[in-house]
Amino acid sequence: MSSLPIDNNIRRLRFEHGEMTQQALAEQVGVTRQTINAIELGKYSPSLEVAFRIAAAFSAPLEHVFQYRKPGEKQ
Amino acid sequence: MSFREKSAWISFVCLLLLTLGVVLSLHHPHDAQGNDVINPLHLALAIFVGFIVLQAVLHLIVAAQAPKEARTPKDERERFIELRAARIGFYSLVVGEVVAMAAFHAHGRVGMLMWTVLLAILIAWLIKLGSEIVLYRRG
Repeated sequence: MSSLPIDNNIRRLRFEHGEMTQQALAEQVGVTRQTINAIELGKYSPSLEVAFRIAAAFSAPLEHVFQYRKPGEKQ
Repeated sequence: MSFREKSAWISFVCLLLLTLGVVLSLHHPHDAQGNDVINPLHLALAIFVGFIVLQAVLHLIVAAQAPKEARTPKDERERFIELRAARIGFYSLVVGEVVAMAAFHAHGRVGMLMWTVLLAILIAWLIKLGSEIVLYRRG
């Protein structure tokens, strides 16, 4: 369960990109696999640069990958 | 477990051994006349060299198991974890130094001040490494 007010679709996008592994995505983005895992689980909020690099890896707009959840809004 | 987390564990355990060595060296053996059986400087050097060698060997072993990961530079999350842990360590050091100054004020012994300052540095460093491990575990 995400503890940050930012949701993401990384797991689904990885699935849609031929079951891309966290390691493969991490290598494309230039971070460690553990960092991708932490972002995916909502435990770590990435910098804007890494967020854009993740979106670029999926050739998707940023808002398709990350969504801001307003205070009080359910997931 | 990532290479960085293993590295933090190795540094933590080695530093814990170093701290124990420093504490034990305070109670090194004396002969009947009260002279040092072991030269305290030699003992301190042996402990310090042992600390460096043990850390280097353990890091080499872990790096050999995951050479690619070991060569990868730290990413933003790892740098963030290190900064957060360093901040916790810094406040621990400040508390330790205040305790050392208070102990010096109460007892007025320079030798005691030196040891308490050294222990404060070692404990703050341990807290910094322990914080890193906890932050890596949390994700």
